[in-house]
Amino acid sequence: MAEHFRGELPRLLRILAAPAGFLPLGPALTLAVRRFARRKPTVFDRLGEYGKCSFLIEPSDLDFSFLMVPDGVRSEVKCMRRRATQPADVTVRAPLLVLLGLLDGTLDGDAMFFNRAISVSGRTDALVALRNAIEDAELTPADFVGATGGLGKLVDRSVIGGLGLARRFTGSPIHGEPS
Amino acid sequence: MSLELVCPAGTPSALRAAVEAGAHSVYCGFRDETNARNFPGLNFSPDEMIEGVRFAHAHGAKVLVAINTFAKAGSMEAWKAALANAEKAGADAVILADLAVLDHAATHHPNLRLHLSVQAAAATPEAIAFYADTFGVKRVVMPRVLSVEEIAKLNAAINVETEAFVFGGLCPMTEGRCSLSSYATGKSPNLTGVCSPPEHVAYSEDRNGTATRLNGFTIDRFGAGEQAGYPTLCKGRFVAGGKTSYLFEDPVSLNAASLIAAFAKAGITALKIEGRQRGKGYVTEVVRTFRAAVDAIDAGGTEVEVGRLLAGLVEGGRQTSGAYKKTWR
Ligand code: SF4
Repeated sequence: MAEHFRGELPRLLRILAAPAGFLPLGPALTLAVRRFARRKPTVFDRLGEYGKCSFLIEPSDLDFSFLMVPDGVRSEVKCMRRRATQPADVTVRAPLLVLLGLLDGTLDGDAMFFNRAISVSGRTDALVALRNAIEDAELTPADFVGATGGLGKLVDRSVIGGLGLARRFTGSPIHGEPS
Repeated sequence: MSLELVCPAGTPSALRAAVEAGAHSVYCGFRDETNARNFPGLNFSPDEMIEGVRFAHAHGAKVLVAINTFAKAGSMEAWKAALANAEKAGADAVILADLAVLDHAATHHPNLRLHLSVQAAAATPEAIAFYADTFGVKRVVMPRVLSVEEIAKLNAAINVETEAFVFGGLCPMTEGRCSLSSYATGKSPNLTGVCSPPEHVAYSEDRNGTATRLNGFTIDRFGAGEQAGYPTLCKGRFVAGGKTSYLFEDPVSLNAASLIAAFAKAGITALKIEGRQRGKGYVTEVVRTFRAAVDAIDAGGTEVEVGRLLAGLVEGGRQTSGAYKKTWR
């Protein structure tokens, strides 16, 4: 495997991000998703039966991954060391910045797939449903920290600006141009 | 008169993105088998449609509701409900293909403007006159098997508007008549609203790259770094005569931006962008780029470099002007 793919975090940042794997990211994200489900239940209606499926999300440039069951107010997110291979209905693998771009709708999932920036396996129907639900959710960084009003706008501006810079810095695909 | 840009929306947020990016009209469908993009998690509930139409109208854009699959014999309820819900939402037109649905709309919803879907594959003055005279159809979406010259000739012989696809995924077969997906999965865009349904699609990775399987049939294999396409049978690679090749069609996207001026000259009313299954990122970029291209041609300016600007969004990383410039062998 090549040392560094286009759009992946540079080695130094990966090393710096490694301790994040030990933080209680899972419980924090579980709370954030459940809070979001209470605010925008229609997003989870869109998922229908697929809300019960498990999605393993693997940032290819980090040593940990997330296992998510997006079941509305009963949603669950676990953060795991990469080695702890967990069976899941769907596995999605891509550089972290690409995954975040898909989450906030900056990047187009099909374009990322055509360009091989993401790889997927498992139940394609569940993944398509999740992709479409996320697309409509209009998620912003503030949704993840539960910030609203002026603070929410500040969080969004800073994180989105930071992500834009990071994408340029790492050469991550923008709008899906061929990588 | 300037060309109307008809843009795709698979979700309410994509509808807002399309309108904000400059769409003159947005087309979308309900979340069931009545529309030909019946993918999991996609499309609109009746309430979302009402809200979508309200948003579009507030911004000066129209909403065209696609109810363009073929109704099941003896069980037309979903299609009847879709027509009623489209009218209730205040849709500017419905896009239909099936004779029974057209008849029901003409009889029970006389105020709904009727457009004929590409799925009806009406490509002759006689067929179009039949739909116009019998059901009052006002616009026909052109099958993607015609050249610009053929559309110009057709326009001279009919008295309804025409709409032509200008960008996006391509069906190389005549729409509404392709049975490849039915053959492999038992489901098709014509009846269930989805070609190569995702529940039948599986990707697996091994040392040689990624294999795409459709209901157990391996339809393609991509090496690492090789551009991928949609998992439809028509874009699969098969062995025939001892050679492996894209037997039906390469994974390419339609891009007829260089023909916008020719389309206007051929008497086409509206240009359609494919991609209701695509995300907001795609919708925003493609609509904004094409709106600039249409406005530039309108103002007598030069062509916008659409091909280069949208290169990263296209299937297989390649673009074609499709049949519009094709000389058939
Ligand atoms: S197999 Fe290809 S040509 Fe046939 S309906 Fe599907 S996308 Fe269109």
